[in-house]
Amino acid sequence: MIITKLDFLVRAAIDHRTLVLWIEEEWLIPGRAADDLVFSEADLARARLIRDLTDDLGVNAEGVGVALHLLDQIHGLREAMAEVLKSIHGSEAVQIPGASRSSKPRQD
Amino acid sequence: MEDPYDSLGVARTATQDEIRKAYLRLAKKLHPDLNPGDKASETRFKAVASAYDFLSDAEKRRRFDAGEIDASGAEARHEKYYRDYASQGQPYASASGYADFADTDDFLSEIFRQQARRARGSDLHYSLAVAFLDAVNGATQRITLPNGGSLDVTIAPGVHHGQVLRLRGKGAPAPGEGKAGDALVEISIRPHPFFTRHGDNIHLDLPVTFAEAVLGAEIKTPTPTGPVMLKAPKGSNTGTVLRLKGKGVPRDGGRGDLLVKLKIMAPTEANPELDAFLTSWAPANYDPRRGMLT
Repeated sequence: MIITKLDFLVRAAIDHRTLVLWIEEEWLIPGRAADDLVFSEADLARARLIRDLTDDLGVNAEGVGVALHLLDQIHGLREAMAEVLKSIHGSEAVQIPGASRSSKPRQD
Repeated sequence: MEDPYDSLGVARTATQDEIRKAYLRLAKKLHPDLNPGDKASETRFKAVASAYDFLSDAEKRRRFDAGEIDASGAEARHEKYYRDYASQGQPYASASGYADFADTDDFLSEIFRQQARRARGSDLHYSLAVAFLDAVNGATQRITLPNGGSLDVTIAPGVHHGQVLRLRGKGAPAPGEGKAGDALVEISIRPHPFFTRHGDNIHLDLPVTFAEAVLGAEIKTPTPTGPVMLKAPKGSNTGTVLRLKGKGVPRDGGRGDLLVKLKIMAPTEANPELDAFLTSWAPANYDPRRGMLT
């Protein structure tokens, strides 16, 4: 679902200057509609993560960029790993270990 | 819910400062976004976060300590974390953690080459204002794109305000050989001078004369699909609602209704004949404000 800039500011609980700064730092990369910025749920979750990092986890402004860059690499690696597993197992969807166990019918 | 002191691992005598420190120490370890592959960390982090929210509220903490309330009122934090979205082909994902492997390993580089080839172009967002009747009856509308091109959008009858239409393959072209992205068109419906929409029904305030209301009449009434004759029964009044079945908004297997609310309009021009009649006309028991004034 598309989130407008105003909704995004409200739901992420940040002000406009903060948003501009985060976009300049490329911590957020919003989409662009005809005349304004538009945001996704992923952008919103990322904004909340940035707030958790600075408010609760004691990460300062310099550190946020480092933390996000490392996290983006972890997610890139997780994607790559899922891709590799998929090609090993053929076209089957890759199951997260543990998740498949509970879906098996129990044989008592 | 677990005892909030146990969740944070602090003594019941802990100061606010100690509680905050304990929370920060656990949050650094347990935050779901710092443990993208660990499903259990989310449950544990939520317990810790709500315990902290609970105990950092001095009033709630005092009442809990006095045994007046239990911790079941502790609110859960926001449900979704960034990790829940990170795999959806975001602009953020980075290959710099493994690009060197792919450069030197044929197996990996082949996989990633295929992946890159399949990568879709990005989605483009547009908004489109649609006339009220076009939204009810359906229409085709053309959007002019920033690059000078245009896009024909078919608006299905009964489209909703705020609905997003997805036009497959009409977004940005893919960087490689993948498919183009989609165009996402958010519909806003312009108001109509006399129709308003309430779900599948349409409401209309229809002005009528004294005579039409009192004597009853067949009144030519606008509907979204053209005028029809509406039968107002004898003795109708302002506020009388008449239903025209199937003249509302199209929906699966039918249409909503048009609800016509009558509104008596007194003549605005001076009319000595009417004045004379009303002055001489004094029926008994005619008091529309009966029951309002004691």
